Amino acid sequence: MMVTDMHTWLLRLASLKLTLVIFVFFCASVVLAYFTQWSPAWILALPFSLFAVNLTAAILANPAFRRQPGLLVFHLALLALIVLLTISRLTYLKGHLEVSDGESFTGELTESESGPLHPWHLEQARFLQKNFTIDYAPGLNRDRTRSQVVWQDEKGGTHKAIIGDHYPLILAGYRFYTTHNKGFAPSFIWYPTNGRAPQQGTIHLPSYPAHEYQQALSWNIPGTKHEVWALLEIDEVVLDENRKSEFKAPEKHRLVIRYNGQRRELRPGASVLFEDGRLKYEGLRVWMGYAVFYDWTIPWLLSACVLTVLGMGWHFWRKFAARPWRAED
Amino acid sequence: MEREIQLLWLAVVVYVIAGSLAIFAVVLGKRPEKTILGLLISALLIHGVSIGLRWIRLDHGPYLTMFEILSSNVFSLLFVFALAYWRYRAIRPVAAIVLPLMFIMMGWLMLSNPNPGHLPPTYDTTWLVIHIMFGKVFLGAVLVAVGMAGVVLLRAAGIGEQKFARLPSDRRLDDLAYRFMALGFIFESLMLIAGAIWAQDAWGRYWAWDPLETWSFVNWIVLGFALHLRITLKPAPVWGALLVMAVFILAFLTFFGVPFISQTPHQGAI
Repeated sequence: MMVTDMHTWLLRLASLKLTLVIFVFFCASVVLAYFTQWSPAWILALPFSLFAVNLTAAILANPAFRRQPGLLVFHLALLALIVLLTISRLTYLKGHLEVSDGESFTGELTESESGPLHPWHLEQARFLQKNFTIDYAPGLNRDRTRSQVVWQDEKGGTHKAIIGDHYPLILAGYRFYTTHNKGFAPSFIWYPTNGRAPQQGTIHLPSYPAHEYQQALSWNIPGTKHEVWALLEIDEVVLDENRKSEFKAPEKHRLVIRYNGQRRELRPGASVLFEDGRLKYEGLRVWMGYAVFYDWTIPWLLSACVLTVLGMGWHFWRKFAARPWRAED
Repeated sequence: MEREIQLLWLAVVVYVIAGSLAIFAVVLGKRPEKTILGLLISALLIHGVSIGLRWIRLDHGPYLTMFEILSSNVFSLLFVFALAYWRYRAIRPVAAIVLPLMFIMMGWLMLSNPNPGHLPPTYDTTWLVIHIMFGKVFLGAVLVAVGMAGVVLLRAAGIGEQKFARLPSDRRLDDLAYRFMALGFIFESLMLIAGAIWAQDAWGRYWAWDPLETWSFVNWIVLGFALHLRITLKPAPVWGALLVMAVFILAFLTFFGVPFISQTPHQGAI
């Protein structure tokens, strides 16, 4: 009796009419996610789950799947795709980071979002940012980006690479992509008078050329209460709108800083004295903004997608071959 | 550039002659099918040379500006249709429905700006070309299905019943339309997969629900729904034809409407 009841339920869950209802629900959910600010992952969780249940029940209960291997492969691959997408959402990481040339990425992200089961081993993906170049076509159209990076493997071996458009750096499963986001980074050394070791660092001015006229930033000297406001005044054309050019730190520039009610214009090598230390402006560097992405399911997702299409193709091929395309009524 | 434009104009004129002839053939009950096929092939050859010259000059394919997208779509859709026209003699009169539809796209093409655009570095990849090719086959297959669905709908409306009398029955046209829709489904799936590979390399994510991705996926769901409905409920040919039209309209709005409202880097139509 119980077995009969279960079978009845399985048949109901496997219903092709239910599949149609789920299709409509799925479509409505995607449109809802598009027109609202709600997370698509959460909105689509229910239709995906319903699809998985319906697919599983259909594969188990519908004898058509045993007669048509192509159809079976197609639906099994679809099911695998749903499972993999769920795992992907639980373990992924998407984030952004900024790193100046000559500095190392140590695992700190400026912003990120991740699945609740993300393993967090970004510290294993350390790399040193070397020089980078970005070509610009007339009309300030961004062209190729070539970013030099250096890293060490687990055995201590040093590796170098030039990454950029379509060529990410892949370390410990994390994929680092160059982005349009980059800018200038004034570099400073803070010499405290209390005998502590000098501290070197950079500040990242707003993205260039997106914020060309807002190249200013306020920050606190580390370990002190001194708030410093800095403005970069550029005395040359960095990116020429009328010809090809290359993004790089301008040689002719001044750094205007304001602190404790005073204003100073600094050139590389100049210093500013505070009661508890000296701030030296070293020079101007550049910073690169990277997008970082982690999703170990990518190759499996691709395999499932390919299997889905192969299964679908196989199924339709057999089905349509049974009756010629040019057959008359 | 002048030579390309001249060739394009010439191709459009030949397309229009082929389309007009197809309409007259149906209205007058004549069968100048070989002439129409010859005109279509000639126009495609001229159009192909025009696209090729531009490709060589600009060093990138026709997928950047709306002019290029429309031009390559007129070419690819008519190429797929010409193949179907050549292979399936029984359905040749549907040219009287399909070609006038293409006239609209040709009109839009001739009014668009032919100046070149800037190729973003994210577009400089083979995966984009593969992605676009799959998309074009998808749209071409659906266009052929539209031709058959159009005949079914015209017959149902009592228009041209006699003019399309020598075409197969509604049931057979419905079956053929279903086959082309299934072909479209396979190629749309391939388009989405190739697009995801491109997006992963270009922007560091394979899927981000941007407007074009979202509406392409809605297309995939609607097409899947249409195919499933046909197997499950076995609707009358008229309902099948309406579903084909719905899929085509949605696909057309997705690929030629969404790029106008999207603010994301994923701007191209297929």
